[in-house]
Amino acid sequence: MRRLFFALPLALAACEAPPQPLTPEQSAALKPADAKLAALYEGSCKACHTVADSGAPLTGDRTQWDARWAKGEDVLLQHAQVGFGAMPAGGQCFTCTPADHAALIRFMAGRTQ
Amino acid sequence: MTTRRKVLLGGAGVLALGVGGLSGRRLWLDREPAALPATDAQGRVVWQNWSGLEHSYPALRAAPASDAELAELLRTAPAPIRPVGAGHSFTALVPTEGTLLSLDRMTGLVSHDAAAMTATVRAGTRLSALGPALAAIGQEMPNLPDINKQTLAGAMATGTHGTGKGLTALHGEVTALKLVTPAGEVIECSRDSRLELFHSARVGLGAFGVLTEVTLANKPLTRVRKEVRLVDTDTLLNDWPALAARHRNAEFLVLPFTGKSALITHEVTDEPVRPRGPDQDADTLMSLKTLRDAFEFTPGLRKRLASAALEDIPPEIAIDEGWKLLSNERPVRFKEMEYHVPIDQQVGALKEIIARIERDATDVFFPIEARIIAPDDAWLSPFYGRESGSIAVHAYYKEAHDWMARLVEPVLREAGGRPHWGKLHSLGAAELAALYPQFAEANAVRRSLDPQGRMMNLFLKKIFG
Repeated sequence: MRRLFFALPLALAACEAPPQPLTPEQSAALKPADAKLAALYEGSCKACHTVADSGAPLTGDRTQWDARWAKGEDVLLQHAQVGFGAMPAGGQCFTCTPADHAALIRFMAGRTQ
Repeated sequence: MTTRRKVLLGGAGVLALGVGGLSGRRLWLDREPAALPATDAQGRVVWQNWSGLEHSYPALRAAPASDAELAELLRTAPAPIRPVGAGHSFTALVPTEGTLLSLDRMTGLVSHDAAAMTATVRAGTRLSALGPALAAIGQEMPNLPDINKQTLAGAMATGTHGTGKGLTALHGEVTALKLVTPAGEVIECSRDSRLELFHSARVGLGAFGVLTEVTLANKPLTRVRKEVRLVDTDTLLNDWPALAARHRNAEFLVLPFTGKSALITHEVTDEPVRPRGPDQDADTLMSLKTLRDAFEFTPGLRKRLASAALEDIPPEIAIDEGWKLLSNERPVRFKEMEYHVPIDQQVGALKEIIARIERDATDVFFPIEARIIAPDDAWLSPFYGRESGSIAVHAYYKEAHDWMARLVEPVLREAGGRPHWGKLHSLGAAELAALYPQFAEANAVRRSLDPQGRMMNLFLKKIFG
C-alpha cells in the first residue's frame, strides 16, 4: 500500500503533458478569474508579461516560468516587491498588497486558473 | 541576414581575450544592488521607482475610482499626497511617507469626436493601452515617447516627449483638462476656461492637484515606416539639422567609444505592413557592455574594434501603425539625465559631452540620445517658447552615475538647458526661475491651490522653493 502512495503521484506526474510555449497573443488572452486581481493585472503586470521583447516571462508560459517557480514563492514575491534584474519593484502595481502580488505571481506562473 | 546583434556579439566574441583579467572585477561590479527591506518597522510596504534610485514607505496607498473618491482623499488623506503613474521618473517626485495615490482605477476612453479628431481619456490610462484604444476609433496621438509604460497623467506631469521637427511633447496636443485640486474641488480648464490653470497644470509635476481626464487633439491613424541605420557619428552631427527637417520623426543614439550612432527615423507611408522583428536593442546594449568590460582601459582599441564590427550592417525596417513602432520595450533598467537646450545649441553641446565622456568616463557604455521637440506654451514646459534639442545620458541601473553631474550637467547648463522634470538634475527653485519665464506665475497658481503644501514632498519643496 505504501508503495502505491509513493507511486501514484509519480504516475500522475508522468501523465501530465510537458509545458508548451505560448505566443504573446495566447498569453495576452489570459486573465485572472478574480475581478479585483484581473483589474490589477490589466493595469500593470500585463504591460510587460505579455510582450516578448520586454524580457519578462510570458503569463501562463510554464516553459518560461517553471525554473523561476522552482526558486520558491517567497523568493519570487521578494523579487516582485523590491525588484530584481529587469523586474522593477512592485511590478508597476503600486496598490498591490503582498497577497495580491503573491496571487498574481501564481496566476502568471500558470499555477491557478 | 546580418544584424546588429549578430555582428556585435560576434565581434565581442573575438575580443574575449581581453575579458580574462577583468572578469573578476566585473563580476563584483555586476552584482545586483542590495535589496531594500520589503516592509519597514511599521509594516509599511516599500515603494520604489523603476530605476531603483528612489524609494519610500507610504503610510497609505490609495486608488480612487471616481472624482468624488479622489476629492475626499485629497482633503483627508495623510500628507504629503503624491500621485504615482508608472514610477518611471528618475527624480524624487513620488517618494512620500504619507499617501501614495495611483490612478490605476481611472483609466480608459471617456468619449471621442470623430469630426474634430479629439478624444477624452481618463488620466490613469497607460500609454501602452492608449495606443490600441485610439486605433480602435481611427485616431492616434501625433507623437509618442520612447517608452510607453507611463500613465498619461504621469507623462504629462513631467513633460514627456518624443521627437520630430514641428512635433510637440505630449502636453502640447492637449485641449482640455479635468483635475481635482488639493482642496477637493473638481475643475475643468482649457484655453477658454481657467486659462492660468490650463497653462500651469498641463506640465504640473503632480503639484497642482490630480489630473483625472485629458482631452487630446489627435490625428487620423496612420502607418509609418521605421528605419534604424548605423552611421558615422561625425557625419551625423554635421547633417543633423537637415536630417531632422527631412523626416517626420528623427532621433539618434550616439554609441560612445565606437564612432558610430544609430539614426532612427519614421515616415508616413502606405507600404504594406512589415511588423517589427524581435527587439535587438537590449542585446546590442549588452554587447556594448561586454566590449566595455573587456576594453574599458584601452579606449582606442575599444573604438577601433567596435567601429570595425559595426561596419556594413544593413538598416532595420519595420512598417506598421505608429503606436506600434514609435515606442519601445526597454527591458534593461537604467538611470538617466536629460536636458532640453535651445535647438541651435544641441550639436555643440553634444560634441562636448561625447568628448568628455570618452576622455573621463570610460566606464560608460549606454548610448547618448538626441531628439528634437517643438515649442509650446505650458508655463512649466521645458519647451516653453522655444524649439529644443534634447540630450540624454544613461547609466546601467547597477552602476554609478555620478559622472552625469560632474561631466555632463555643466555642459547642458552652459547651453541654457532646462532639465526634464522626471530625469536626474540638481536644480532648485532659484535656477529654475531663471530658466522659466512664467515660473513665478505657475508657482503662485500652485500656492493658491495648495496653500498648506499637502502635495509637497522634500523634492518638490526644493523645486518650488
